Amino acid sequence: MVRKNFVFSGWEFGVRSLELKQRRGQMKIMQMAFMIVAVFFFFVLVGLFFLSIQFKDIKGGAAQLQKEQAISSLKVIADMPELSYDSSEAITLDEDKLKVMAGGFGNLYEEFWPVASVAVYKLWPVADELKQCPGVGCNYYELYDNGQSNVKTYSTYVSICKKVKESGFVYDRCEVGKLVVGVKNAGG
Amino acid sequence: MKKVKAQFNFAWIFAIVVGGAILFLAIFGAMKAGDTYRYQSDTEIAKSLSVITDPLQSGFSEGSFGKISFGQETRINNICFEGGFGKNDISVSTRSEIGEEWNLPGGATSIHNKYFFSSEKSSGLDYYVFSKSFNFPYEISDLIFLTSDNYCFLNAPDEVADEIIGMNIENIEIEHPTGVPLGVGFPGSTSDGANCTLANSVKVCFGSGPQLDNSPYQTGQDCDVMVYGSCSSGCDSVYDEGTVSKSGGDMKYVGNLMYAAIFSDKLIYDCNVKRLMYRAGRIAEEFFAKADLMDARGCNTNLGSDLAVWSGLTGNATSDDLIGLRSMADNMESKNDRELCGVW
Repeated sequence: MVRKNFVFSGWEFGVRSLELKQRRGQMKIMQMAFMIVAVFFFFVLVGLFFLSIQFKDIKGGAAQLQKEQAISSLKVIADMPELSYDSSEAITLDEDKLKVMAGGFGNLYEEFWPVASVAVYKLWPVADELKQCPGVGCNYYELYDNGQSNVKTYSTYVSICKKVKESGFVYDRCEVGKLVVGVKNAGG
Repeated sequence: MKKVKAQFNFAWIFAIVVGGAILFLAIFGAMKAGDTYRYQSDTEIAKSLSVITDPLQSGFSEGSFGKISFGQETRINNICFEGGFGKNDISVSTRSEIGEEWNLPGGATSIHNKYFFSSEKSSGLDYYVFSKSFNFPYEISDLIFLTSDNYCFLNAPDEVADEIIGMNIENIEIEHPTGVPLGVGFPGSTSDGANCTLANSVKVCFGSGPQLDNSPYQTGQDCDVMVYGSCSSGCDSVYDEGTVSKSGGDMKYVGNLMYAAIFSDKLIYDCNVKRLMYRAGRIAEEFFAKADLMDARGCNTNLGSDLAVWSGLTGNATSDDLIGLRSMADNMESKNDRELCGVW
């Protein structure tokens, strides 16, 4: 009985020690799995951190390029043959062309405009309220607007000229104006 | 002992499989991140090309020249779309160190309001950009020429030589094989008067005009591009209109479109000319409406009917129609010059 008990105890001990070793093995595998998962997540987080920095750069770069393009497009638009008064004079707009463009012709250009909106304001005489051209006593021309919201505007001063014939003489009558272009706000 | 070996093996197999998976993911992620970064950089360059060519619009000058240098060999792809105002899609790709010769190009930048004349695919470290205005008969737009190759103009007429030398275009050399060299577009060149000194230059021969001798450059031998001037009346030079002949085919030109035909592929040239003609038609429509406004305040013009016809003719014109349209353009220009107010 004692021997039997001893044998049983030995067998029981063997089983228990095997179970214990298996548990230890399982624990080791679990430890390793957790470690691997932790390492994996660590690298994922590091990757995400770098990606966020990179995307911040992309946004910044896009905004900077858009700003540069908007500023340079002011001159490009003012010198377009569709708007310019005389190709030999920089940043001078033809009032007749503005009237034609503001009368709906400008919308035919759609994607051709490198910006989201183009408008020209007469600065003199100073008016209390804005009146859209063409019309009597008007003081601003809306040449194009693609309806985009959240646009940032950039502007430059321009001359607005037209040829006038008086007493048989032809001369250039010019006024001071402002060309305003809108570009989609990259930050927004 | 066996159990220990089995445990050791399992642990190693597990570590190798999972470690391998992580390594694979890490390498794959790094490659993807590299690709994304390259795509971003190439897209930025393409967008920058649109911005940095803005100041090159010649405005009231004869033309302007600029040089763009890249840190590594770069290919610029130019795809032209016609239909209405059309557009040039510009994309950039860099040379690949492994696999394909060139990486996939970055995002294309669509440029609707400029006319880029170049090869469909041009590659190099340095790009030369210059622009000339195009009037037909009024100003339509600036033409932008983008090249990475060297060019040698043989027997170029004085007007062309003066323009190239005046703009200091580094990659174009002017040679008169039969006489004294006119020099090159930049100082310090050592031209010997017979051979082009710029490396691997594309030889552009001007085949019309006074025949100086029977040199191969005037008969078309040893030339990559031939320019035949055909203007016979009302022109400053015989090269005011003509045909540019190269391996891709013949291209008819008027005025500054001669440079466009020399520097670009036929596909790009024909497409951009169609875009320019469409724009010419639109501007004619605008001028027609402007003429009405001018008439209303006593600044009368007789160009109304001409502009209406011109608008119809140019709207769908191709490069083959250019020479035929030129006489009407000249006629309109002289009419406009005679008028007191003038439409343009």
